[in-house]
Amino acid sequence: MTRYANAETLRQWLDRLAQEADLIAPRDVEGHVLYRPIRSGAEVLLEYERPELSAKEFLFPSTEVILRIEQRGKEVALEEVLPDRRQVVFGLRPCDAHGLAAIDALFLNQDPTDAYYRHRRERTTLVGIACTQMWDGCFCTSMGGGPADPTHLDVLIRAAEDGVYILQPVTPKGVAVLEGLPPVEVRGEPRPVEEYNPPVPVMPTEKWRTLFDNQRLWMRHGERCLSCRICTYVCPTCRCYDVVDRVVDVRPGRVLTERIRVWDACTSPNYRRVAGGHNPRPTNWERLRNRFMCKFCYYPEDFGPLGCVGCGRCIVACPVEIDITEVMEDAARV
Amino acid sequence: MALANPMRPYPGRLVGVRDLATGIKLFQVELLEPEGQAAFAAYKPGQFAFVSAFGAGEAPFGITSTSRRGRLLEFAVNALGHVTFSLHSLDVGDPVGVRGPLGNWFPMDQLQGKNIVILGGGIGGAPLRPVIHTILDHREDYGHLTILWAARSPDLLVFTEEFDEWRSAWATELHVTVDQAGPGWTGHVGLITQLLEKVAPSPENAVAITCGPPIMIHFVFLTLKKLGFAPEQMLTTLEARMHCGIGKCGRCNLGEKFICKDGPVFWQYEIARFLEGFL
Repeated sequence: MTRYANAETLRQWLDRLAQEADLIAPRDVEGHVLYRPIRSGAEVLLEYERPELSAKEFLFPSTEVILRIEQRGKEVALEEVLPDRRQVVFGLRPCDAHGLAAIDALFLNQDPTDAYYRHRRERTTLVGIACTQMWDGCFCTSMGGGPADPTHLDVLIRAAEDGVYILQPVTPKGVAVLEGLPPVEVRGEPRPVEEYNPPVPVMPTEKWRTLFDNQRLWMRHGERCLSCRICTYVCPTCRCYDVVDRVVDVRPGRVLTERIRVWDACTSPNYRRVAGGHNPRPTNWERLRNRFMCKFCYYPEDFGPLGCVGCGRCIVACPVEIDITEVMEDAARV
Repeated sequence: MALANPMRPYPGRLVGVRDLATGIKLFQVELLEPEGQAAFAAYKPGQFAFVSAFGAGEAPFGITSTSRRGRLLEFAVNALGHVTFSLHSLDVGDPVGVRGPLGNWFPMDQLQGKNIVILGGGIGGAPLRPVIHTILDHREDYGHLTILWAARSPDLLVFTEEFDEWRSAWATELHVTVDQAGPGWTGHVGLITQLLEKVAPSPENAVAITCGPPIMIHFVFLTLKKLGFAPEQMLTTLEARMHCGIGKCGRCNLGEKFICKDGPVFWQYEIARFLEGFL
């Protein structure tokens, strides 16, 4: 059932949610809009641009302890570290929910499931706020999403006139989370999206397959890549990871190690390099090709969804102006 | 019901460590808990596992033993990186972790009745040893066995102590070569491809199985083709840097395929169809 709120009741509800669960919401961090842990509704931005980073870190943290290893002499005790906190992500943009759906396809829906991601995902409620416009670089409408797309959310919030908000539950989780919302008398109609960006052509995976050997295309875009990996860092669907051990405490007769999982990037020069020194993907353009081929060919063929939701963050973040939509347009032209 | 966590290693203990070649050690691991023992009760030739040196990390290794020959898991480890150097510093009695068994395996049933050519280069021989053992332990199920065993130098040849067993088996021949001879070496000197051309096994009812550095696999396939072997008569097993072994972490992709999940064992025609090569 659709619910209504104003800024005051919304913040009251957020205050309550912050007590019941870990609350993540868009916040101003020294001039940057970021999804961040929130203690009270007053900190939350209700009008904001696309946050500079996606919210994937709250389901798939950039650094995460997956195992605690305690060694006493020749004895070892292993403790799995599975998160069990309930969390609500408030103010999620629809593209970021779409990004999580893409990660779900691999981490949840392909056997075996990823235990850590699953634990977080099951305990997370996604409350989205529709975008009032498409921002610099946004092309979600070309990727099967949209500024007010409720598909991958539990609740979609849309702004109406006069400070009224319309809250639409999408899933049973969404119905449940809305139970605590204080009732108000106000009503309204959603404000239309103010500005759409022009569409970008999306070629089928078979077309991308034929482009693999088009070295000119890949060198044109990839030769200036600095291998800085920011594109994968800001991406809501990039999910490659590394696993390393970190010794955290050494005492007589006892060593404590954390096995941590950290984000990785296929655009990193050493991504495919093996200990003997062999690197089957030695150049920047081959690595960039892998990133784009993963998004538009491998990921959909292997797991279903495309590996891009059109959030546009990589376009804005790239220091050498490599633009994924230009690659897509070139792919359509070839 | 709690689902199993595939990132959790089974606790194990080193019960044997010995030098296999310069810089290469053979580790024998006993799994300590029933859960791990059950998981590895019937692993197949060609499968791999992650071995943890706790505090340093874990890395994937082809299992070089067979479940038929005993309950101990054997891994050949070349000291090259952080994890492998840490493993080399361990001794009998030290704890390790094991995750697996992972990946596909050599189609030993499908290979029955065929003449088999094994081509192992350096430590690339390790994942082929379970194939050799399986054939020797079911000798009547397979045809002629030709083993070509190579290394850069004599001190890098692995499993030399088993050469007599291999040579003395029925309808089995062993040819050994080194790229560069050392003091006292009286055997063949030259690349494995040169040896292969000399031995020239017949492609008739045969399947060739190779593992070694990627460049060697590439040229062994070319030489086999010259000898008349078809793509569906050539098998290999590949390796890559990987962190999960279950198709999630992304590290080991060759185009749309993952070495960990779609491999590590591939027919030559499968590799040729991949968008990206392994070289």
